[in-house]
Amino acid sequence: MDWFVVTSALALAAMYGLLGIGISLTWSSIGMLNLAHGFTFAAAGYGAWWASKNLMSAPTSGTDALIVALAGILTGVVGGLVVGLVAFLPLHDRPNFPIRSLIATLAISLAGTQIFLLTFGPLNKPLPKIFDPVGKALDMRKFEIGPIEMTWDRAGSIVAATLLCVLVLVWVRMSRRGIQMRAMMQNPEGAALVGVSVRSTGMMVMGICGGMAGLAAVLLSSTFFVNPAAGVQPLAKGLVIALLGGLGSVPGAVIAAILVGFTEALTAKYFGTTTTLFAQYVLVFLVLAVRPRGIGGLLDEVRA
Amino acid sequence: MSSAEQVARERERQALVGRRRLLPRVPARADRTLHRRRWPLSKTTVLHLGGRYNPKTLGRERLITEKAPLWWFTFLSLALVVPLLAGTDKMLTIASTFAIYASINLMWMLVMGTAGIFSLASLAITGIGAYATCWLTINADLPWPLMFPVGAVVGLFVGVIIAIPARRMDGMYYALLTLGIAEVCRAYALQAKWIGAQSQGSLSGGGGFIPEDIRFTQTGQRIGYAAAFVLLLAALAVYRAVNGQRLGLLLRASQKEDEAVSESMGIDFQRARLAVFLISSAGLGVIGAFYAGYFRAASLSLFGVDLLLLLFAMIVIGGLGRAEGAVIGTLLVTIVDRYFVDFGAKRFLFIGLLMLASVLFTRGGAFGLRDQWRELRARRRSQRRAARTSRHGAVSPEEAPEIADKAQIYQRRFDHNQRAHLKSLITDDLIAEHRRNPTGLHSEELERVMLYFRKAELAGKYCVYAVKPFAKYRIVALSGLPGVPPRVVDDRVYPTVDEAYHAVFLRRVNDLRSS
Repeated sequence: MDWFVVTSALALAAMYGLLGIGISLTWSSIGMLNLAHGFTFAAAGYGAWWASKNLMSAPTSGTDALIVALAGILTGVVGGLVVGLVAFLPLHDRPNFPIRSLIATLAISLAGTQIFLLTFGPLNKPLPKIFDPVGKALDMRKFEIGPIEMTWDRAGSIVAATLLCVLVLVWVRMSRRGIQMRAMMQNPEGAALVGVSVRSTGMMVMGICGGMAGLAAVLLSSTFFVNPAAGVQPLAKGLVIALLGGLGSVPGAVIAAILVGFTEALTAKYFGTTTTLFAQYVLVFLVLAVRPRGIGGLLDEVRA
Repeated sequence: MSSAEQVARERERQALVGRRRLLPRVPARADRTLHRRRWPLSKTTVLHLGGRYNPKTLGRERLITEKAPLWWFTFLSLALVVPLLAGTDKMLTIASTFAIYASINLMWMLVMGTAGIFSLASLAITGIGAYATCWLTINADLPWPLMFPVGAVVGLFVGVIIAIPARRMDGMYYALLTLGIAEVCRAYALQAKWIGAQSQGSLSGGGGFIPEDIRFTQTGQRIGYAAAFVLLLAALAVYRAVNGQRLGLLLRASQKEDEAVSESMGIDFQRARLAVFLISSAGLGVIGAFYAGYFRAASLSLFGVDLLLLLFAMIVIGGLGRAEGAVIGTLLVTIVDRYFVDFGAKRFLFIGLLMLASVLFTRGGAFGLRDQWRELRARRRSQRRAARTSRHGAVSPEEAPEIADKAQIYQRRFDHNQRAHLKSLITDDLIAEHRRNPTGLHSEELERVMLYFRKAELAGKYCVYAVKPFAKYRIVALSGLPGVPPRVVDDRVYPTVDEAYHAVFLRRVNDLRSS
């Protein structure tokens, strides 16, 4: 067993899972396929980059890393709220909302990419590896658990992403707001009738999903770079995971994220990075051929 | 009455009459009143005509009740003539691109609008058609006229394969799958040996219908544009034949929520959907063949997301579900994209904002704007009408149908307008003139006002009653009924008859003003 492949697959799965669950939650609670998730992702990347440039001299200590991560998440939340403000609030009570909001979010991502291009230029912006300071503080660059050799960066990504996912899921199950959200998932009209505000709950969902995209951006951008089109690939991955998992099903999205992560890591290792997208779509064909509504496929009636 | 008020009243009158007077009309022969020109091989009339006799000339004439064909004719003839006559090289290229993109969009609109399948593979089918025909012209010496049937067969074949999962999957899942197909095609074209890896996945040097030696001259470009225009016409004809005829009607009867109903009525909507999908796929294959024949190449951009997004933006901006929308949207976006190349990235920002605006503010894209504006105007107008509680004696449009004698309606409207006019005549000078001289010669204004007062109906009309001639006069109001005495209006007593006349005048002025 090649543990390197496993750990890199898990790290990828964790980050893609954040994106996929965000898209899935948005769809199931407010009925909007958020194609502007990539825009939020790129915005968060730029936010983190700005923080790493302006709020500290050099990324050395743990607090600095925390600042960068928080800046990314906050920008993500703001990005999500902006998308909600433009594509959800004015449209949610109009006829044909799913298609309209899909077009609106697509337009946001199209315009957003150009705005980033005009504001920040086409060059790649590097982000600091935010979990490195931990390793430096402990004075070892890698650590080992049994036969598995891990870098701090990878371990940190997996842990942070899983932690945020679990936190959000627990919050969705336990808190009052979470219950409101689940009520909206089951029946938006019924929820509105018993006094759940569709608008405020929807905006809250947008904010939370934006925050998840923000964390994913901080984690991914330290390996890759931030550029105007940085959101496109993660959006494609997130969409694939959300749809493979079955829109609206969080466990399905987790399984799909692990599947996609492994496919990507394995194809990258054995066939080269150019074939990853190809392999991923082959996976989509196979899964959708067996289960046309994705792995966790919900029934028609849940979300028409 | 002010002139603004007059204009407003005139507008209202026109709105009452309806829009019929705005319809264009053509002369007609009285002996062939029922004759209609029809499209060959169909029962559809070329123009929707309504016959009538002109009330003024009493001649027979026909109103064109549906103006869309006229607009189409004007637009298409302009689109043909302007680039061909006045065209620079740049304009001809843009126009050809427009025609090709518009044809793709029309076929795509058949799938998304008419069949209701959210497929993103349309561009990929075009690409496959282009690659296949281009490769055949290079390697099998396929003559160019045969490219089109071959393209149709290839498109149909690909359509059959893609359509298989469409029955089971819905909406977004199918969209993702079809997006995946485009991506797989792109990845395959990049690596396939028969395409040639050295050319970055694109084929070039194929056969084409513009002769090679004049291809880059003005004449060649003109031939290319004329051909592209014919392609656009053909796409419009196919769209019309599918969407407007039997298949389109069947599918319109089975929209999303009515599927069970339509199925119970015996409409096999799955089959109709499949038929539309296959027809459009064959059409897209032909367009792919045209693309290959026009550029003598097939490039990877046909499988790219960028071009797909651009085409989607065209459809959305123009208005989903209408042929006009597809064409207008394509025209707008192609001009922004190709004509303003100097603006660089900003033009995509502009396209994105246009898309956003069309979703946020319009109901049916740019093409629905006119209807939306008219509806808004009608609503405003009716709100204004409803807000006006009293119409000062004139008949309101709601009341009008209940009055049998239509002359009354006009009489009351005339009375209403006359009173409004007389009110504007009454000034302090006029009243002073009457006080000086209640009888005898008057100025024209005063005479008009008094004439109006005199012809008032008998019931309630004020009179002067001589309690004691030359000494005591009072004002009474007639009952208007035989045998019923007049009532005394107030207890004021006037010493002379002139003063009593003036008091009557003042009362009437007061009544007029308060009406």
